[in-house]
Amino acid sequence: MPEDRKKTEVRATLVDTIWDFFTSLKLVIVLLLILSIISVAGTVIEQNKPLQEYYRMFKPETVELFNKLGLLDMYHSWWFTTCLALLALNIIACTMERYPFIIRGMKRQNPVLDDKLEAGLTNPATVTYTLPPEQVERRLAAMTEKVFSGRPVVTETETARHLFYEKGRYTRLAFFLTHLSVLVIFVGAIVGSLAGFKGYVSIHEGESISAVPTRSGGNRELNFTVKCNSFQVDFYPNGMPKDYRSDLSVLTKDGKEVLRKTIRVNDPLDYEGITFYQSSYGRLPEAVTFEVRGKDGSTLGTVSSPFGKQVDIPGGAIKIETLDYREHFHLSDGSEAGPVYGVNIIRPGAATEGIWVSETNPAMNRHGDYTFLVKEAKFSNFTGLQVNKDPGVWLVWTGSLMLVAGILMAFFLSHKKFWIRIRKDRKGRVEVTAGGMTNKNKHAFAGEVKKLVDGFREVS
Amino acid sequence: MTNSLLFGISIFVYFFSMVLYVSYLAFRSDSLGRVATGVLWAAVGVETAAILMRWYESYALGIGRAPLTNLYESLVFFALTVAVVYLLMERKFGIKTAGAFVTPFPFLIMAYASLNPKDIQPLVPALQSNWLISHVVTCFIGYAAFAVSFGVSFLYLFKVRAERAPARRHQGTTLTGYLPASDVLDEVGYKTIAIGFPLLTIGIITGAFWANVAWGTYWSWDPKETWSLIVWLIYAAYLHARITKGWKGTKAAYLSIVGFMATLFCYLGVNLILSGLHSYGGA
Ligand code: HEM
Repeated sequence: MPEDRKKTEVRATLVDTIWDFFTSLKLVIVLLLILSIISVAGTVIEQNKPLQEYYRMFKPETVELFNKLGLLDMYHSWWFTTCLALLALNIIACTMERYPFIIRGMKRQNPVLDDKLEAGLTNPATVTYTLPPEQVERRLAAMTEKVFSGRPVVTETETARHLFYEKGRYTRLAFFLTHLSVLVIFVGAIVGSLAGFKGYVSIHEGESISAVPTRSGGNRELNFTVKCNSFQVDFYPNGMPKDYRSDLSVLTKDGKEVLRKTIRVNDPLDYEGITFYQSSYGRLPEAVTFEVRGKDGSTLGTVSSPFGKQVDIPGGAIKIETLDYREHFHLSDGSEAGPVYGVNIIRPGAATEGIWVSETNPAMNRHGDYTFLVKEAKFSNFTGLQVNKDPGVWLVWTGSLMLVAGILMAFFLSHKKFWIRIRKDRKGRVEVTAGGMTNKNKHAFAGEVKKLVDGFREVS
Repeated sequence: MTNSLLFGISIFVYFFSMVLYVSYLAFRSDSLGRVATGVLWAAVGVETAAILMRWYESYALGIGRAPLTNLYESLVFFALTVAVVYLLMERKFGIKTAGAFVTPFPFLIMAYASLNPKDIQPLVPALQSNWLISHVVTCFIGYAAFAVSFGVSFLYLFKVRAERAPARRHQGTTLTGYLPASDVLDEVGYKTIAIGFPLLTIGIITGAFWANVAWGTYWSWDPKETWSLIVWLIYAAYLHARITKGWKGTKAAYLSIVGFMATLFCYLGVNLILSGLHSYGGA
């Protein structure tokens, strides 16, 4: 054999092997079961926690091993993605392989009941009548119409008339709907993660934002501004939260309001493909009044520190700036220390120092020459918004609808065919042969046909 | 409250129907069988009334919500759906002798439910959604269908073992002799999955849709979501094995049993053992 022919043959068998691998029905079952087993691992090892939490739970070697294997973010690991990709290839190959059969099954019509067909019928029956043939046909057709809706295809052959009924031809497409839907959902998820973003932003009452920090670490500029007009939270008498709501306005860059909506959990705001979800809330001080004491404990005076602004302290050479607030502060030993204010101390010619000023525990508030006491704080609410853009989500819902429609069609509908042949037997009586055929749920279909044909027998 | 009274009565009626089904298995009198079925329907009726009453009473408390949101309510609803799915299968396939093995489940689930806190709590904002009902109802009918499939698959395994043991083949007097024929059990095992699978699919999708409306993420791989996917994948494998590879009988029965174990974990295990968004069980 010449060398190059041998090569192409080897290549052909390799292609065949790959093709057989991907169209294998065993592969589907194995993949589905493997995916389910892998997924179990991801629910046992909590995913995407901060690394230090894993170190608390496992030995350091274990954490490193898990991290290397991708077990800490396994649904995005290369091997999990590979399994999904294999499933997608598997589906594509299977669909291609079955395509011609399904199309043929949909196209082929045999309106004439010949001997070959008759041999393959479900519950075929032959009944003879002494009535005139037209009357038999009319009465049987009337009965059949109720079961197989629609008009029959009538064919006249030399010896007989054939009535052919068909129902649910397009249910053969269920295979495409169910299997392609999975691909559509995958594509939707990929589009969403490539072309969309997820972020989180908090907005104080009365303030606005026009950029959103994203989860991937970027900062997404918006073409518009979102203003939080007000935020409210209601509680049930037992203290459980009942309703969070933010009154938001969308403004153009030049300040014109184009949309205003009160959002709540389960009722987000949508503008230009970007959706704002009520996610959390909290409050920050607008201004805090501190009393400052000197080294000897005597008072130097009070200072009002507006949030985010540097102010001079009375009788001192430093500036302070209030930048943060925690309602429930936890000390390093885990105990609760009540509300604290995050304050920067700015000394000329020295590095800025960040301190926590406790409202309830002044003993911890001594810093260098000064001690700070919280005298008064004015708060304003902020609303926490999840901000998303997902241009793939409509594909996910389209795929979902296809999936449900496909599954329902596949399980509960089938392609049914039914024939009635009317001819004269040797004695000149009218002889009717009838029977059906289906591609699924044969048992139920047999019952249906039997009932119909039993009805035929009663015509006289 | 009236709903508790009605639930109490329904536990009693479930118990009574179980006794009747077991007696039917022992005596096989047709009229006894009819009474057993009637009493089980009655239990379903009383329980439905109890659930509706609880719904109504939640409005009277000024809370006004569907009774499907905590462990107690979900168990109660699960018992109801198991009974209804079984009754429909009994009607369609005439498998009344299997009733003695299925009816203990609604009774036991109701009894277990009654150990859980029963007060009507208001809903946190995330659960206040029209998607709640469609999501929970479809998931739970799916679970119930899988439970019935599990039950008959289990009986199937007993039945074939008895049928294969030659010495006892003709003894209709043993317990397994009374059971429905193995191929009927096999068929019911499949048919119930064919009902459960589309419902679970709808349940997962409505859940994803809801999550997207509430949080902006349709899938976040939290343990409950992941386990529902695991269950879904197992039954998808079952269906392919059955439809394309002709897996029937014993192999299919084992896969159905594995599937229901995963279902149970998805329903209870995740809440009681793992943590996540859906952790009503831990509350
Ligand atoms: C997650 C992925 C999949 C899902 C959800 C799925 C779903 C289904 C469902 C619901 C059925 C029964 C409906 C019917 O009879 O048409 C089915 C049948 C079938 N599936 Fe899949 N499937 C998946 C993957 C695959 C793959 C990868 C293959 C390719 C090997 C495949 C091949 C088949 C075949 C050959 C049938 C039988 C169709 C028939 O004879 O009617 N499936 N699938």
